[in-house]
Amino acid sequence: MELSAEITLTAQQLGQILGQAPAIQAYRLAVQAFAADPEALALEQRLYKSYESLLARQQAGEALSQAEILAFNRLRAEVQSHPLILRRETALREAKAYLAQVADEISLVLQVDYTALVKEP
Amino acid sequence: METRSDPVTEPVVTGADGRAVARTLGRLLRQTSEYEAFWQALQAANQDPVLQRLGEQIRAQQAARLWGDEGEHEAALARLEQEVEMLSVVRDYHQAESRVNALFSAVDALISQAAGLDFAANARRSGCSCGG
Repeated sequence: MELSAEITLTAQQLGQILGQAPAIQAYRLAVQAFAADPEALALEQRLYKSYESLLARQQAGEALSQAEILAFNRLRAEVQSHPLILRRETALREAKAYLAQVADEISLVLQVDYTALVKEP
Repeated sequence: METRSDPVTEPVVTGADGRAVARTLGRLLRQTSEYEAFWQALQAANQDPVLQRLGEQIRAQQAARLWGDEGEHEAALARLEQEVEMLSVVRDYHQAESRVNALFSAVDALISQAAGLDFAANARRSGCSCGG
């Protein structure tokens, strides 16, 4: 797809602004802090593994015990309240909200939802 | 949301208002032949009396499906949807939509490359972009 020079430059300028926006920088820092903490990484990994294992057993027709469900819920609560994971998820929500507000500006001018007209990556 | 490892950092834009630049981009996109064709096709579809009538019939069948014979209404719905897809106004719309999809996706790729993250996928308000 051939784009005009003006559209190309404006799109690149917008991308640079987004990349430097405080909400996006905060998200990047939160991801880095999480990735640098082996305990947080292991905790989240444990949750994913537990979820996959329980789901597979459930889909195979096995009934899960109350104790297993309680243990899973406890693990999930532990993950959700871990400071670094909490920080990352909060930063993610704020980053997405910021991106949505910027996309709204494009949509407002176009009178159609810009994001809906971009093919899924 | 996964951030990309290769954000474009040159030339650095400082102090610019993202929303103002987004509006400028919106205006530039609105002036393209792809968008103009899409907008006209959308208006034509919205104002087409046959499409409106078929739309009403589809909605009636969908409502009736909840209360009546599901199989019977499914068949009627499939017939109506086929009729819709055969309308020239709908075919024109799909063609124009496809072109505008290509344009916006190319633009979004530039924004995303410069930002270091997928812009539209993370900006979607509805549905699940699942951190893409």
